[in-house]
Amino acid sequence: MTRLKALAAAAIISTLLAVSACGGDSGGPAAKDGEVTLRFSWWGSDARTKLTQSAIEAFQKEHPNIKIKGEYGEWAGYWDKLATTVAANDAPDVIQMDEKYLREYADRGALLDLKKAGDLKTDKFEQDTLGAGEFDGGLYGLNAGINSFAVLANPAVFKAAGVALPNDTTWTWDDYNRIAAELTAKLSGKGWGTGVIGANEAGLNLWARQNGESLWTPDGKVGVSAGQVTKFYEYVLKLRDSKAIPAAETVAQDMTASLDQTSLATGKVAMSFGWSNQLNAFSKASGQELKLLRIPSTTGQATKNGSYYKGSMFWSISARSKQQQAAAQFVDFLANNPASGNILLAERGVPANTEIRAAVTPKLQPADAASAKFIQDIGKELGEPSPAPPVGGGQVEKIIQRYTTEVLFGRLAPDKAAQQFLDEVNGELK
Amino acid sequence: MRRRDNLTAYLFLSPWLLGLFLITIGPMIASLYLAFTDYNLIQAPEWVGLENFTRMLSDERLHNSLRVTFTYVFVSVPLQLAIALLLAVVLDRGVRGMAFYRSVFYLPSLLGSSVAIAILWRQVFGTEGLLNQVLALVGVEGKGWISDPSTALGTLVVLNVWTFGSPMVIFLAGLRQIPTMYYEAAAVDGASALRRFFGITLPLLTPIIFFNLVLQIIHAFQSFTQAFVVSGGSGGPSDSTMFFTLYLYDRGFGNFDMGYASAMAWFLLVVIAIFTGVNFLVSKYWVFYEN
Repeated sequence: MTRLKALAAAAIISTLLAVSACGGDSGGPAAKDGEVTLRFSWWGSDARTKLTQSAIEAFQKEHPNIKIKGEYGEWAGYWDKLATTVAANDAPDVIQMDEKYLREYADRGALLDLKKAGDLKTDKFEQDTLGAGEFDGGLYGLNAGINSFAVLANPAVFKAAGVALPNDTTWTWDDYNRIAAELTAKLSGKGWGTGVIGANEAGLNLWARQNGESLWTPDGKVGVSAGQVTKFYEYVLKLRDSKAIPAAETVAQDMTASLDQTSLATGKVAMSFGWSNQLNAFSKASGQELKLLRIPSTTGQATKNGSYYKGSMFWSISARSKQQQAAAQFVDFLANNPASGNILLAERGVPANTEIRAAVTPKLQPADAASAKFIQDIGKELGEPSPAPPVGGGQVEKIIQRYTTEVLFGRLAPDKAAQQFLDEVNGELK
Repeated sequence: MRRRDNLTAYLFLSPWLLGLFLITIGPMIASLYLAFTDYNLIQAPEWVGLENFTRMLSDERLHNSLRVTFTYVFVSVPLQLAIALLLAVVLDRGVRGMAFYRSVFYLPSLLGSSVAIAILWRQVFGTEGLLNQVLALVGVEGKGWISDPSTALGTLVVLNVWTFGSPMVIFLAGLRQIPTMYYEAAAVDGASALRRFFGITLPLLTPIIFFNLVLQIIHAFQSFTQAFVVSGGSGGPSDSTMFFTLYLYDRGFGNFDMGYASAMAWFLLVVIAIFTGVNFLVSKYWVFYEN
C-alpha cells in the first residue's frame, strides 16, 4: 500500500509539473541580469528571412544584452498565427504589420503608440510616409519601406515568344489584354501572357482610382460602386476569353500558392501583378532578372493610372510587450541605423528614412536597384495617397479572390459577382 | 480500506482527470459563454444574448459550409466503410503475408490526417501534379483538380476514403469473432460464398459496422486539416471545400469574431449529437446482437 501511495504521489507530481510547464512564462524576461529576449515576427520569402536574420545578428552585436528570437512564415498563415498569439496574450514584441491589419489591431488597443516609445526617432521620415501608420493622434506602425503596385514582367518569356516589351507609360487595359493574348498565342502552350488582375484588392483599387473612385473612403467606408466592380470583372472575363491568362484552375491555384510556386516564379507567365519590392523575391525565385512596368490605365496616360506610394509594411510593437523599451530600440535600429539599412537594403521596399535611402541607394543589388529606380521614376506621376483600409478591411483580399474565381469559372456573372462582393465587404466592416 | 482504495484509484486517474478538466471541459465552458458574446480576441467579450445564433440563420456562407460538410460526410463515410469491409473480408481469408498487407493498408490511416499528406495531395492533384502526368501518358488531358470548384471536394473525399485502414482493422477483429461453425454448417448445406457473406458475415458484423459508422461520421464532421492545407487555408476555390470547421476557424481567427465562432462550435456539437442519436435510434432496426 505504501508503495502504491508513493507511486500515486509521483504520478500527481509529474502531472503537475507537466501542467505548470505548459502554462509557463512565455518568452520570459530576465534570464541573466539585465538580459532580455524579444520576439520578432515577420512574413516573407527565404530571401527576406536571410536578410532579416543578418540584421538581427548585427543588432545583437550592438546590444549584447538583448536577444531577438525570430518567428517567420508565409503571408497566408501569418495573420491567423498573429491573431491567435495576440488572443492568447502571447503576441510577439515586435510585429511586421501590414496596412490591411494595422487598424484592426491598433483600434483594439493591441499596438503600442510608437510616439510614446522613448527610444524611437522618426525625424528622418517624410510626413507622408509617417502618416501612413498614424491615426487618431497615435503612431501605431512605422513605415518599413515604400512600394507601389506594378506589373512584374519576365523579359525571358517575352523573348521566347518574340514579343517586344511594351511601352508602359502609354498602355491601356486593352493594350494589356492584346499583348498578353499575343504572348499566349506565340508561346503555343508553353506559357501564358499574364496572371490575373483581381487576385488581390490592390488591382481593383487602382481600377477604381482611374475612374474617380477608390476602394476605401477616408472615413472608412467602401468607396467603389457596383458599376465599377462590374466593369472590372467584365475586364477579367475579357482576359480569360482572349486566353491572356491561364485556365481558371491555374489562376485559382496561384492565389494560394507560396511565392516560389506561382506561375510568375516558375516562368509560366510573362507578366503578373505584384508589389514593386517583390521584384527581388520573384527574380530570385524565377532565376531571371524581372522588370517592373507601370500599371495600365483607362486613358493611356501613366499619370492617370491611380498609382500611389504605399507603406509596403510597418514595424509595430505589441501594447502588451513587457520589453517595450528594448523593442523600441530594435525598431529604431531597423528603421534608422545605417548598419541595418546596409543589410536590409530595399527588400521591404525603398527605405522610408530619407538618410538611409540616400546611403543605401548606390549599394543596391540589381533587383532592388531596379525597384528603387521604379519608385523614383513614377514619383512625378502619382496621385493622392490611398485611404487606409478600415477595421474589417483585412478580409477583402480573401473575398475578392473568391469572387474572381467565381467569375473565371463562369459561376457568377460580373454584375452579380460585383453586388455580392460589395455586400460581403460591407458586412465585414465594423 | 475501500475508501483508501478509491482514493488511490483517483490518484492514478488524476493525470487524465486533470487533462479532462483543463484541456477539455474548461475550454468548453468558456466557449459556451463566448457563444453568447461579441468577442474580438483582443478586448473583453461583450454579452449579446442569442445574436450569434440568429445571425447563423441568415449567413449564406455558413449554409454553404453546411452543404459542403454534409456532402463530404455522406459521400466519403459509406464509401470508406464499404472499401474497408471489402478488404477486411478479403484479408480475413488467410491471404499469405496477411500481417504485411494489414500494416500496409493501415498506413494511410496513420498518415491521412497529417499535414504532410495533405501537402502531398496538393501536389498530386495540382495542375502539374502526378495525376495529370499519369493521365497525360494515356493521352487524357488533366485539369487542376484541387483548384476547380467542381472537383476540389472530390479530392478530399478520395483522401478520406483512402484512410480506410482503421475501420478495416476493426472489421478484421470483428470477423475473427464470428464462430467458424456457422460457415461450416452453411457450407454443408451448400450455401455459396456470396450467400454465406450476406447470410452470416454481414448480420453478425452489424454491431461492428454500427460502431464504425458512428465513429467515422463524428470524425468526418470534424474534418479540418485536409481541407485547410489542400485549399491553402481558404476553403477555396469558391468555398467549395469550406468545411464547417474551416469556416468556424476563418470567422474566429481570420475575422476576429470568436463569439460567433464559439456559437458555431456549439451548433456543430448539437448537429453531431443529433446524428449520433438518430444513428442509435435507427440501429434498433438493423443492428443484430447475437445474444
